[in-house]
Amino acid sequence: MDRFVVLCVFLAALFGTGVVIGSQRRQSGCTIAVMSTTILAIRTERLSKRYGETLALGALDLAVEPGEVYGYLGPNGAGKTTTIRLLLGLHRPSGGRAELFGMDAWRSPVTAHARVAYVAAEPNLWPTLTGAETLDFLARVRGGTDASYRDVLVERFQLDADKKVRALSHGNRQKVQLIAAFASRAELLIFDEPTGGLDPLMEMAFRETVFDAKARGQTVFLSSHILSEVEAVCDRVGILRDGRLVEQGTLVELRHLRAQTVEVSFDGRVPELPVLPGIEVAKTGSNTLRFEVSGSVRPLIAALAGQPVVSLQSGVPSLEEVFLHHYEDGNGRIGR
Amino acid sequence: MAVSGASAIARRALADSRVRTISFALLFALGAFTQATAYREGYPTLADRLKFARTVGENDAARLLFGTPHNLLSTGGYVSWRVGGAMAVFAAIWGLLGAVRAMRAEEDSGRSELVLAGVVSRGKAFGAQLAAIGAGTALLWLALLGSFLAGELPVGGSAYLALAIISVVPAFVGVGAVASQLAPTKRMATGLAAGVLVIAFALRTAAAISGAGLGWLRWTSPLGWAEELRPFADPKPIVLLPLVATGGLLLAVAAALAVGRDIGRGLLPTSDRAAPRRGLLGSPAGQALRSERGAVVAWGGGVGAFALLMGVLSSAATPDVISKDLQRQLEKFGGGSIITPEGWLGFSFVFFVLAISLFCCMQVGAARREEAEERLETLLALPVGRSNWIAGRLLLAAGGAAALAVAAGLLAWAGAATQGADVSLFSMLGAGLNCLPVALLFLALGALAFAVAPRASTAITYGLVSVAFVWELFGSLLEVPRWLLALSPFHDIGLVPGQEFDATGAAVMITIAAIAGLAAVALFRRRDLAV
Repeated sequence: MDRFVVLCVFLAALFGTGVVIGSQRRQSGCTIAVMSTTILAIRTERLSKRYGETLALGALDLAVEPGEVYGYLGPNGAGKTTTIRLLLGLHRPSGGRAELFGMDAWRSPVTAHARVAYVAAEPNLWPTLTGAETLDFLARVRGGTDASYRDVLVERFQLDADKKVRALSHGNRQKVQLIAAFASRAELLIFDEPTGGLDPLMEMAFRETVFDAKARGQTVFLSSHILSEVEAVCDRVGILRDGRLVEQGTLVELRHLRAQTVEVSFDGRVPELPVLPGIEVAKTGSNTLRFEVSGSVRPLIAALAGQPVVSLQSGVPSLEEVFLHHYEDGNGRIGR
Repeated sequence: MAVSGASAIARRALADSRVRTISFALLFALGAFTQATAYREGYPTLADRLKFARTVGENDAARLLFGTPHNLLSTGGYVSWRVGGAMAVFAAIWGLLGAVRAMRAEEDSGRSELVLAGVVSRGKAFGAQLAAIGAGTALLWLALLGSFLAGELPVGGSAYLALAIISVVPAFVGVGAVASQLAPTKRMATGLAAGVLVIAFALRTAAAISGAGLGWLRWTSPLGWAEELRPFADPKPIVLLPLVATGGLLLAVAAALAVGRDIGRGLLPTSDRAAPRRGLLGSPAGQALRSERGAVVAWGGGVGAFALLMGVLSSAATPDVISKDLQRQLEKFGGGSIITPEGWLGFSFVFFVLAISLFCCMQVGAARREEAEERLETLLALPVGRSNWIAGRLLLAAGGAAALAVAAGLLAWAGAATQGADVSLFSMLGAGLNCLPVALLFLALGALAFAVAPRASTAITYGLVSVAFVWELFGSLLEVPRWLLALSPFHDIGLVPGQEFDATGAAVMITIAAIAGLAAVALFRRRDLAV
């Protein structure tokens, strides 16, 4: 008979731990009732991560205000996904700390995640569930969602919700994740390259939904390397290179960092021009020149006067140019 | 070195299947050797063997499991009955798994699109995959031959018996290949092919039951043909003809189907659409139960059928059947007599301990897959605690193991009851639950491996169970010191109802399991998720 007693004790022990952990979770879920506007949505302090010998992220200081749409830019392997895994407490920082709404990302992930929704770069979902079942599952595990907004989004993203995930394309699986995240109405949305598989129409739907979220006061942290997307929706941008933040500011601020470009084409061969201080010249065709002007354009205009100029185009630098500027080595090649 | 596209595919397929092929080869080698040795040692005289042939050989239950014996008086004849029939089934499983893996799983994962977008034609790719399976089959044949020879069987007969065992491979590779063309997913293709194997097995089994007048049925099943090759009795190599022809025909059909269809789809219509069913989707543990439901039912079916059979066979456990030498050998496993139904059932429950432990391994593997395929990342980004998640998975696995244990006990009792054997339901339920300390120990150790070394955890868990089981089997026969044997958890249980329940062993194992389980929950909280 004693064998049953021993077995029962073991099962009771196992069940016991489950129940204790469960009740802890429920209690901690109730503790965050007061929200202060002074608390940052995301704050990192000298946050760093090493994987063996590789430094994936070095001493990152980041501050994202509530209500802000923050673009997090960087090429593949710069440390964007690492940052997000640290923010979500999925990986443990090697140094420094990360906070979401003032809560430590590693120590209290569950309380923090009650206010966060996440879209992963790879839409790895459960292949045998349908889209609708997946949305239902994610919503119930979260503990609630805005069902009517979810229906709006299913319509807006044209998701075939009765199709099983295994039969959905990459882009369609991404839509499932996006709908789940937006419909949660979470205060902070963390997106890791969320539009990789979306077509241009859906990309527009995504931007529209980000604007909705912003209008409702939600914070968005958008990791991306699609510059036009970041340019379209973000208030502020941080540029990451080799695990370090090399630039941060509003789009207007960033543009000032970069010279404006003047493209000039001539009738016939390119003429000899004097060397002008603060202006770089590059020959871009047999009869075209491109000038990078850091200060005023007056010396350039003066130098061009009397030359056989056919056309002259000037533009403010795009985010792409700002971005490329940070990744170019001295020879104009793209490096890391 | 330039490698042609087709040979690159063949090499890739071979490398891909190496773990499975080597495992089957080891299983074959081990089984062949031990059976040959055991019969020679256990039934040394002609009188012993005549008695064995009259009793076990005519026993319907034994025939159910092993098929029709043709010559039980020589060791070779015994081995070809006792392992030949069972191993032909395993060879068939190997063949159909190999075919589905090479032909459907590659496509299911999208890899064949990549391959076929290159310069390799569909026909060549098909041929290359078959070549890889052929090489694996040759390896199995060599493993069988080697261990028959090590078991001191004559060379010619051994080669022929090994050939008889693998003779079913072409037919079942063909079945797997056709199923891979029909079904759009690996799981469904495996299911279809396994269904054909079950029918083939049922036909052979019906034919084997003596006196039922259904002997002709054996000619309807490839497994029956393999039996009719009659190694060590009166060999009929002509029967190889239908076996090879069936394989060839099925493969030709599969090749014709493969060339004419859309890659990435099957020929059977499937529904990738379904109205939402919300059941069990309220929590990660519920969802895990929903996705593991099929596995639990399949394991329940397998364990239950085997338990029923063991129960039916238990009435045959009499001193007439099991010789004194064999009894002495078996008693080395830890005392108790095997010649009563209770003793026999207790002894047979070693295999249920193994099966339920393997189920626990599979659950650790499923948890690990959830992490490796990054779905866990999605879950843990929700307000889900890590401790909660892993504790839920462990409880689910423990619950599944308990259900299997109860099913094993219940059905073994039911099987014994049909034969009027004197075995109580209570004692058989005890035998079932007695499997749990070991299984839960392995579950907890597997969870600990998952928490500490996630990428290696599945291999570590299966490895622990295999090493412990082999150590129990061979350590007992090698007469090593008792404390060394006791390192294997399989040795630390009393095989109820034949033996006394080992309360100390069970308590120690459950204590270790509880500590390891709690440590796993605590340590999992402290590591990075690992792809």
